[in-house]
Amino acid sequence: MAYAFDFTAVAEYHTQLLSGVGYTLLLTAVGATLGVAMGTLGAVLRAWRIKPFAQVFGLYVELIRNTPFIVQLFFIFFGLPALGIRLAEWQAATLAVVINLGAYSTEIIRAGIQAIPRGQIEAAGSLAMTRSQIFRHVVLQPALQKVWPALSSQIVIVMLGTSVCSQIAAEELTFAANFIQSRNFRAFETYIVVALVYLGLSIALRALLARLGQRFVVKRRAAA
Amino acid sequence: MEAPLVRIDALHKHFGSNHVLKGIDLRIQQGEVVAIIGRSGSGKSTLLRSINGLETFDDGLIEVDGERLYAGQTDLRALRQKVGMVFQQFNLFPHLTAGENVMLAPQVVKKTPKAECETIARAMLAKVGLAEKFDAYPDQLSGGQQQRVAIARALAMQPKVLLCDEITSALDPELVNEVLAVVKQLAAEGMTLIMVTHEMRFAREVGDKLVFMYQGRVHESGHPKELFAAPQTPELQNFIGAVN
Repeated sequence: MAYAFDFTAVAEYHTQLLSGVGYTLLLTAVGATLGVAMGTLGAVLRAWRIKPFAQVFGLYVELIRNTPFIVQLFFIFFGLPALGIRLAEWQAATLAVVINLGAYSTEIIRAGIQAIPRGQIEAAGSLAMTRSQIFRHVVLQPALQKVWPALSSQIVIVMLGTSVCSQIAAEELTFAANFIQSRNFRAFETYIVVALVYLGLSIALRALLARLGQRFVVKRRAAA
Repeated sequence: MEAPLVRIDALHKHFGSNHVLKGIDLRIQQGEVVAIIGRSGSGKSTLLRSINGLETFDDGLIEVDGERLYAGQTDLRALRQKVGMVFQQFNLFPHLTAGENVMLAPQVVKKTPKAECETIARAMLAKVGLAEKFDAYPDQLSGGQQQRVAIARALAMQPKVLLCDEITSALDPELVNEVLAVVKQLAAEGMTLIMVTHEMRFAREVGDKLVFMYQGRVHESGHPKELFAAPQTPELQNFIGAVN
């Protein structure tokens, strides 16, 4: 029994697909930027044990890393309205991604900060630099350098994880896929295409992050 | 005699129940080269690190060029601008070039314009014989070169006194001399130096004052040549015997 592939049934919906890709990328970009910013903040507070924020972030990290993303998303979208906080689906999706990545990147970046030899921080201190100057000029960049591959992987995981946001009707790529296969009844072809699109996006995102890392994190000129 | 540049009065320090500094008194004049020697655990590194606030202390007073430091004081920046430090492990910032390592503190702490910082950095690197390594990263330099960059980095802040914490101990033997030569030159130029060292020959040749620490106290001090020739205490005799 031969299955007759019909990809034109998917191609007809290229507008929906493209808009889904756009939504996924935007959600990932905003989520990654804010999430990593939040993770950096959390990492500093935790690495330098600044009370009481270090403990608050510790609790947050444990809470997020030990519960499923979809539950976090549902809590924000379906749960919070009970407290009168009603978010549009794109707001809930963005918030969920930021909170989720914030927790993971807190731990990743903290590892990088703690891997900075104590002597370098002492050396900066002995040059009369303040704590925040030391963090900005001596700690942050080498710390990010050390953990950039791990952080990049986490961002890719988050990008793939945004597919879950289809469950609250955020119109990202998986939402588009569900919509298309419900119209053309070509689930097989539709999900093949969408899987390939995700694959392509992941590869492209990894390449982009590697370049960004080279440009802004490693920042090293050619050997002198 | 003019007022000492560095004054340490009745300095006490505990690590938990371990009383590591048991009342240190020390006067160091401008331009003096002081070598602190002693067995490990005698408190010599702790004493040195106290002078720029890397170690807190429990009682006593440290004064450098009129800048006072009391037990428990947390704002150390004024003092640290007067006290430079060079470490055993160099501690260069690995993501910055040699030049950037030297420029960073003047730029960030003193807010000196970048162009001026670069001029200072080039001059300091030239002083330690590494003018051509301005754009090299630390991992492209030998240990001796890294340590000389670290000296240049400390000098760029124009400290009144330079602390050297076993600065040749992590170096291969053939690299020790290039670093000591730089220190010797600084001493000749009148820089006040306080160094914890195991280089007895260097201490004897270049030092103006030798401080022998034993069990958290200054056990004996005086001119190196006299002390090495005629140690007064059996502990110093033993120590000199053991290292020679």
